[in-house]
Amino acid sequence: MISRGLSRVRERGRASEPVRPPLWSHVRAVYMKEMLEALRDRRTLLVMILLPALVMPLATLGIPYLEQRQQHQLKTTIPTVAIVGQAEGLIHLAHTSNLIRPVRAADPVQALRERQVLAVVRIPSKMEQIIARDGQVHVGILYDTSDSESTAARDKVVDLISRYSQQVVARRLVARHLNPTDLLPVVLDERNMATQRQLSGMLLAGLLPFFIAMWAVVGGMSVAVDLAAGEKERGTLESLLVAPPSREAIVLGKFLAVLTASMGAVIIVIVAMMFSLRWGYPYLVHGATKLDVSLPLAAAAVLLGVAMLFSALVSAIQLALSVYARTPREAQQYVTPLYFVIVLPALAIQFISQWQSAAWVYLIPVLNTFFVFRELLLGTVNWGHLLLTALSCIFYASLVLGMAVALFSRESVILRT
Amino acid sequence: MIATDPAVLVEARDLHKRFRSFHAVNGVSFRCYAGEVFGLLGPNGAGKTTTIRMLTTILRPTAGGARVAGHDVVGDPGGVRRAIGVLPENSGVYGRLTAREAVRYAGQLYGVAPQELEGRVEAILEALEMTPHMDRMTDTFSKGMKQKVNIARALVHDPPVVFLDEPTSGLDVISARAVRDFVQRFKQEGRCVIMSTHVMEEAERLCDRVAIIAGGKVQAEGRLEDLKAAAGLGLEEIFVQLVEDTVR
Repeated sequence: MISRGLSRVRERGRASEPVRPPLWSHVRAVYMKEMLEALRDRRTLLVMILLPALVMPLATLGIPYLEQRQQHQLKTTIPTVAIVGQAEGLIHLAHTSNLIRPVRAADPVQALRERQVLAVVRIPSKMEQIIARDGQVHVGILYDTSDSESTAARDKVVDLISRYSQQVVARRLVARHLNPTDLLPVVLDERNMATQRQLSGMLLAGLLPFFIAMWAVVGGMSVAVDLAAGEKERGTLESLLVAPPSREAIVLGKFLAVLTASMGAVIIVIVAMMFSLRWGYPYLVHGATKLDVSLPLAAAAVLLGVAMLFSALVSAIQLALSVYARTPREAQQYVTPLYFVIVLPALAIQFISQWQSAAWVYLIPVLNTFFVFRELLLGTVNWGHLLLTALSCIFYASLVLGMAVALFSRESVILRT
Repeated sequence: MIATDPAVLVEARDLHKRFRSFHAVNGVSFRCYAGEVFGLLGPNGAGKTTTIRMLTTILRPTAGGARVAGHDVVGDPGGVRRAIGVLPENSGVYGRLTAREAVRYAGQLYGVAPQELEGRVEAILEALEMTPHMDRMTDTFSKGMKQKVNIARALVHDPPVVFLDEPTSGLDVISARAVRDFVQRFKQEGRCVIMSTHVMEEAERLCDRVAIIAGGKVQAEGRLEDLKAAAGLGLEEIFVQLVEDTVR
């Protein structure tokens, strides 16, 4: 039986000598095998598909929903404010305007500390008499900025005092036979010109870059860890390295597999987010009309292109770290800090938006991608910035891939276990 | 001296390998011919695996050189890689691939023509009596079956030179026997087989010639019968004596 099978092998072997395939057929063989293994791994599917599909609607809808609920609560609830001193007119206005609920407290400062009241208003003695004699008084307010409800109560007290002042001013002017409107020669009429498209752009620009970046890292992580450090641990690496494919072909095939996983997650993130904004937002968030979150096709294509370049850089780094690591566990430890390196600029970008016109910004990895995302989502396309970003992403990714190839050729790295 | 005899498939010439201060291989030379099984025999840490790794282009010799199937291991590692089949020590499997997929992958890496590949994969797995398990995931396999998959991976491209590093270590009696039978076949087919082992019995049963390696050096080399006749001892006694001499 053995000899029969083997002789068949031999006959076929002699029939034609193995052909020497070009680089790409090796790349393809490595890529296809890695993808097959990745797709059979439940972890990959969970992180790449299921998690973004579940988390994205929660993140895109949940956060604005909670924020709006809080805003709404702050606006509608009438805060309890302790009043110290006598001011009948002010207290009357508080009741009629429903801005605050004035109460008396034995120890107002203690009451504020214990949150029994949200602010304390100190009325100077004989306030109403002084005002009646055209004098000026100072009203004190105590509140706590570390408590958003207290800050909201302070705003309402300010509003109340201002209305009270206006009433006094009006009375004084009338007493002098003057028209109160004479004091307001210019009245401002405001109108918000932002279109639905721009508003949703703001919303997207705030959320999407962060999530794209996050999933570019997370999506490819388990694949990257598995296909280099994992091969070392399982003892399959040596068989691969004694085979004819060049180190370049192996690294490229593996890199493309990590990139595919990373981009898969990114695409699912974008789709899930668009869907939840378009269909979920109007239902959940009070007062919002249906948002126009459909990006123009060209902008979407450019966005995906930039996301892919960014993913390429992230995938290359993850692969290089995985090649360097001894075990998947170690690789995981190296890759995790990468996550923070990428998420931090995403959070910082809104505070450094003044840099967005400087060319050098587009040469800094990670930061350049966020600036370009922002521009694209807010509706401007700057081809110069895009070109700089694309070139620098390609440059850094190639550099890191070159390092991965070099690592794969180092005896001390491939044989350390 | 470069071997001109076409029957010499592997020639190691004074191979040295130094890892920082540690001299793992300290001048190993031997020749192997087509149609023979050559054993590298030695205790753990003797330098067998390092020698095989230099011959299979995984490690670069610090000094000395080697030719495999006419290709220089340093000057033409690509040529060497195409001519050899390797079963590394303690090699594992891709658990989420079936036996068929794993062997097919090896065939693709070795450039087996696509139209031939499927036939070769099936034939080699049949030869290893793995046909019924061909489409099962390899992580469900026993150790012996995994080793058979790895042997199939090493041979799917029909190489003239085969390196087996401790091919039976950790296998049960039945599996080890199947592997040994297979090694015998390689020899009959005219391949050159280089295998390392620390099991005397296995060397006696399989190898035509052996090199006893200890302390990174070849302590004795030759046909088993000659070694035994010269020393008037069994292989194991020769081995123990040589190794103990090195340790002292």
